[in-house]
Amino acid sequence: MIDLSPLYALVGQWLPFDCLQARFMQQAFIGLLLLSPMAAVMGIMVVNFRMAFFADAISHSAFAGVALGLLFAVDPNWSMPAFGLLVGLGIMIMQRSSGLSNDTVIGVFFSAMVAFGLAIVSRDRSLARDLQRFLYGDILTISDGQIIFLILLFIVLIGFQIKSYNHLLYIGLNPTLAKAHRIRVALHQYIFTALLSLIVMFAVQAMGVLLVTAMLIVPAAAARNLAGSAGSMFWWALGISLSSSLSGLLLSAQPWARTATGATIILIACGWFLLSLLPAALRRERRE
Amino acid sequence: MAAVNPLPLYQPAADEVETAIRFKEVTVERGGISILDSVSANAPKGSCTAIIGPNGAGKTTLLMALLGEIGYQGAIVLGNGKQPLRIGYVPQRLSFDRGMPLTVSEFLAMGFQKKPLWFGIIPKIQDNSRRILAQVKAEHLATRKIGALSGGELQRVLLALALRQDPDLLVLDEPSAGVDFRGELIFCELLDKLRVSKGFTQLMVSHDLATVTHHATHVICLNRKVAAEGPPQLTLTPENLTAIFGMHMGLVRSRSMPENRVVCSAPCCQGKCND
Repeated sequence: MIDLSPLYALVGQWLPFDCLQARFMQQAFIGLLLLSPMAAVMGIMVVNFRMAFFADAISHSAFAGVALGLLFAVDPNWSMPAFGLLVGLGIMIMQRSSGLSNDTVIGVFFSAMVAFGLAIVSRDRSLARDLQRFLYGDILTISDGQIIFLILLFIVLIGFQIKSYNHLLYIGLNPTLAKAHRIRVALHQYIFTALLSLIVMFAVQAMGVLLVTAMLIVPAAAARNLAGSAGSMFWWALGISLSSSLSGLLLSAQPWARTATGATIILIACGWFLLSLLPAALRRERRE
Repeated sequence: MAAVNPLPLYQPAADEVETAIRFKEVTVERGGISILDSVSANAPKGSCTAIIGPNGAGKTTLLMALLGEIGYQGAIVLGNGKQPLRIGYVPQRLSFDRGMPLTVSEFLAMGFQKKPLWFGIIPKIQDNSRRILAQVKAEHLATRKIGALSGGELQRVLLALALRQDPDLLVLDEPSAGVDFRGELIFCELLDKLRVSKGFTQLMVSHDLATVTHHATHVICLNRKVAAEGPPQLTLTPENLTAIFGMHMGLVRSRSMPENRVVCSAPCCQGKCND
């Protein structure tokens, strides 16, 4: 395993906050530094593709992923992303091949996953306690192995976004038009889905099942309100996501706050969203 | 269904014209219901071919089969069948999220520019977009958001996107839907001019017979089967129209096509249809 200590030490040196001197805080800081840009960029496309419900379904399959991991004695931290990936691709295949509407397909998968997870967990009382961790999430327990995986995922995902941001926008706008323009719609959709599933599963560990979709959607929604073009939407989403995550982490560690990190981050992002409504409202007022 | 076929099918001689599209026995079924029944028709190269027919005749389905969006039996041969044709597609009504912040310039660039749009639009691509917008008389729209465009403006931007691809074949689904008469006339004249200057083949679906009689050079009358095919003067006869559309078409027929001749004062018709 690569030793990440020098990286953590850098965080401690550059940001001389008291709370950032503890190693677990440095790990969480690096984790969020990797996770939130990915969530922001993918979130833009989730909003464009109207896939919020899809992201929800993936996050809720976390229970089943954890349960399966415990059943087969695999570390739940790894069985969860692997299972999420399978579920995501399964939903995509089903959506593309069946005549059912997307939200119906997702709804069926969603309930099947939750029921399956609960069924397995209900057999063993001691598992239930473990599951609470995934319901609320905890970025402070992120491990070195996960951070290394996040670094790899970050490289792959940014590469994919650089290559495909324009085409993904096109597909999100209208798939038929994109296909007539000789863009490989299905391939883009599958790669996007796979990466999104992995991001969601990692974000579940940080934010919890209940709040993971917010991490994707809220910065992108605020960016939409503030941006004047698809290019600037990217930078807005990135800025909002990073600023909410890092300030959320620092705030939640303050002795007077002592709130859950995930919830604090989402609250700040929602504050951004409220602010983002202002310019449009002011413009409307001026017109009237 | 024998009554639906009052005219013998128009059969061009094999060497008469080069075809851009050949539909061969195209059949589409959905849930056991036949939508297209062994449709065989041609679109001559360089023509303005119109597909007309009542609602539910399968016009849009035929286009979707052409674009590869739905499965079908039979064959659709593009061009000489060797090189793929570049298809520019202008949809009937672009269903998209109007809240998306996307400018017209970005809309025209996103299919062409490799560099992600967050780094801005490359000047060369921007210049191309402006030139193509000028061709469809929409230069002033470049910086607008596409969600804020009117129906007619959006249609011209969509046309610009299709033309930008330098198409061999321009496919339009109901180009006149949602545009007022004046806008439609301008749009069709614009298309006529561009088709002649660029030499592409135009295939459009329309249920607006006025547009078809003014602008089409070749007509495919569709009602799940090909009811008639050929030049407008031969296909848009009162008998044919009544057979395809039913009784209601009498109105259109008496006004626009007395004795198989188009009487129209629009400049586009003078000398084109009445010769």
